Amino acid sequence: MHSLIQLSIVVLLLPLLSFVILIFFNRRLPRRGDFIGVGILGAAFGISAYIFWSVIVQTYDPAFRVAWDFTWIDLGNVPGVGPLQIRMGVVIDNLTSIMLAMVTLISLLVHLYSTGYMAGDKNYGRYFAFLGIFTFSMLGIVLSDNLFSIYIFWELVGLSSYLLIGFFFEKDSAADAQKKAFLANRVGDIGMWLGILILYSQFHTFSFEQIYANLAAGKFALSNAWLTAAGILLFMGCVGKSAQFPLHVWLPDAMEGPTPVSALIHAATMVAAGVYFVARIFVMLTPDALHVIAFIGACTAFMAATIAITQNDIKRVLAYSTVSQLGYMVLGLGVGAYSASLFHLVTHAFFKACLFLGSGAIIHAMHHEQDMRWMGGLRKHMPWTFATFTLATLALAGLPLTSGFLSKDAILAGAIGFAKVEGGGIFYLIPVLGFFSAMLTAFYMGRQIWLVFFGESRTHLKPADNHHAGHHAHDSHAAHSDDHHAYHGVHEVSWNMRAPLVILAALSVFFVYSPDPLDGAKGWFMKMIPTPATVVGEANPQIGSLHAVTAAPHLAGVVPTAEAVPAVAEHGAVAGEHGEAKGGHLYSDSRQAEIVHAGHAAHYTAIYISSIMVVLGIGLAFVVYVFGIIDPDKTAQAIRPLYLFSLNKWYWDEIYDATFIKGSMVLAKMLSWFDTNVVDGIVNGVALLVRKFAFVNDSFDKHVVDGMVNFTAFTVNTTGAVLRKLQTGKVQTYVAMLILVLFGYFVFYFTRLIRGI
Amino acid sequence: MEQFTTIGLNHYLTISAILLGFGLFAVMTRKNAIVVLMGVELILNAANINFLAFSKFNGGMEGVMFALFVIVIAAAEAAIALAIVINIFKLFKSVDVSSIDSMKE
Repeated sequence: MHSLIQLSIVVLLLPLLSFVILIFFNRRLPRRGDFIGVGILGAAFGISAYIFWSVIVQTYDPAFRVAWDFTWIDLGNVPGVGPLQIRMGVVIDNLTSIMLAMVTLISLLVHLYSTGYMAGDKNYGRYFAFLGIFTFSMLGIVLSDNLFSIYIFWELVGLSSYLLIGFFFEKDSAADAQKKAFLANRVGDIGMWLGILILYSQFHTFSFEQIYANLAAGKFALSNAWLTAAGILLFMGCVGKSAQFPLHVWLPDAMEGPTPVSALIHAATMVAAGVYFVARIFVMLTPDALHVIAFIGACTAFMAATIAITQNDIKRVLAYSTVSQLGYMVLGLGVGAYSASLFHLVTHAFFKACLFLGSGAIIHAMHHEQDMRWMGGLRKHMPWTFATFTLATLALAGLPLTSGFLSKDAILAGAIGFAKVEGGGIFYLIPVLGFFSAMLTAFYMGRQIWLVFFGESRTHLKPADNHHAGHHAHDSHAAHSDDHHAYHGVHEVSWNMRAPLVILAALSVFFVYSPDPLDGAKGWFMKMIPTPATVVGEANPQIGSLHAVTAAPHLAGVVPTAEAVPAVAEHGAVAGEHGEAKGGHLYSDSRQAEIVHAGHAAHYTAIYISSIMVVLGIGLAFVVYVFGIIDPDKTAQAIRPLYLFSLNKWYWDEIYDATFIKGSMVLAKMLSWFDTNVVDGIVNGVALLVRKFAFVNDSFDKHVVDGMVNFTAFTVNTTGAVLRKLQTGKVQTYVAMLILVLFGYFVFYFTRLIRGI
Repeated sequence: MEQFTTIGLNHYLTISAILLGFGLFAVMTRKNAIVVLMGVELILNAANINFLAFSKFNGGMEGVMFALFVIVIAAAEAAIALAIVINIFKLFKSVDVSSIDSMKE
């Protein structure tokens, strides 16, 4: 076993250890054991950082990969199928080591932050235990080398998110939100499982490596439509976990959980899992499946951005911005901008964690006020929070010099390139929606910054009657009722909540990822995570390789002709040595090669358009909120239907309520009617029939069977009564009878004798 | 005429049958067990007469031998039967065979 593998298993098990210790012993430990959670996560992060250092910094090889697996369940030689095994394993490549470091770092910071934010909660110890199992589940997904263990940890993530979203389960809204999250995830997971089964039925293995090798060798016996279906079904898992349209409804409601948990869910553990999973299965997605993924991502990005501009709850704005950014990532994967998408996953994780922890600091300081309409002027009271929050906001909006700019630009460039290669008008919808969402992002984040940090305090404007209704929705553990005097107590948060903000804000700057503030492709990240060559291009590898050769002249620089054929022969068959030459990209599939090429070509176009869009968005926010040229309330009145459409989140909850929930209620009522009338009717009818039959049977018994028995008894009795008289007990009677019989015999005998017989 | 003057087989058999009839009558009708036993003796002797008569008219000694055996058995039978009667008397304080009906149960 490679030493990195051993270390990664230690990293995986440490949070589980934290969970086990804290769930059983938190009441016996000083400070409810929070130092154990923080300390263990610190150790896990330390080891992860070492793995990151030795893989990314020391090795610096795009094709680095070590794996180890073992037979978990041996099903033996199954009749008619052959030998079946379920293997478990760990894989470490560049993506894994980056994800490990990111997840443990954010989890560590969230742990640290929670020691301040959650202080005094009555379930303080259990909270840290749940954080531990949440981190464990996510690390399991990151390290898995096969679909089966990913599915196990996937469900564990679902469970732990359920536990944490409903952490304040005394509140109905939190209990509802946790159920909603769990059910929405179930819908996606069913699809994912079906996708896994399609692949397993073909190849009898769950391992990514073997599945891709088989696919590359053209061993998929079913039609291509099945492969597309498998891809889309697996993607359904991501739709649930990463809150893509149409299963995005749970994520905003998940704001009912404690704010640090929101940071963890939105940045590191849960929603990242979906995107990470699609990245793992990226090479087996057919072009059709990728189109579906791209369109769903674009729709999600646009829809969530339009909703975010009208929300008033500080956390809900951030929640919809997360949905929107996840839409970007999925869009990126769909258009084939694999590296850019994962790049955005990581950069987004840091600045979104920063934003959530910052909003947590604000909520904490404001005594659990979450409505931005009653905030304002916090800049002077909370300088640290203001500075970090603003930096993260700029990264989210995608301003140059931030990490978000690099990654978002790379995705949008990929989208333009994709639209060009596909050539159809409808495909231009994807980059257009992406750019439009970028503008909306800049606008709503500008609005949020302005409402929260600038201007004058508006706490006194809060209507009194609203006060109570709003209060119940807060994620409060110690309810304060003196919100009217909140500003007297507003102050900067303590160091253990400030330090994570500073670290995360520092990771939102461009030079962490790339030396060039305008081009992420020059940075280490995009070099270390190259787009892997697809294994399903052009239906089978032979045709694919032909295309690569013939396509080479007009793709000069992307596909070196001389190396194409041997590389293709190698790719897929030898794991870890895909057809990518170390110097540049080399793709057997002409479509993929063209998209990558076009994506690079569109780089500067994307920069120009997205910069213009961001400036437009921020400018609009300034015009509306800073200079007051356009009154937001009057505008909202002027376009009231649109405003309400956005404020009510496109009415998705209402639509689901009217269709699925009402539908299942109606169905349940129908089934109930069916039960009471038909099923019960059948049962009762059968019971009636049985009763009738029993009556018939009873009389038959009484009259016929008993009659026969009684008749026999009667006969025997009568016969006995007659015969009893013969037995007198007197010898002389017997002698008389003997003589009578003898006499009778003589008579009979002599009669025959006389008759001469 | 000869059939009246000469004593033939039929005469013997007739005597024997009459004797058997007396014996049976005694066995079936008498109440006293001793008299019943006497009836049995009569029946046995009726049989003896038959044996001897057939022996006489057919020649050979088989009938005589049988008669001798019957006499011996009759003696033995009388001894045993009287012993039984004594026991019955001890048990029932009576030798009235009509009142002894415990075989009924």
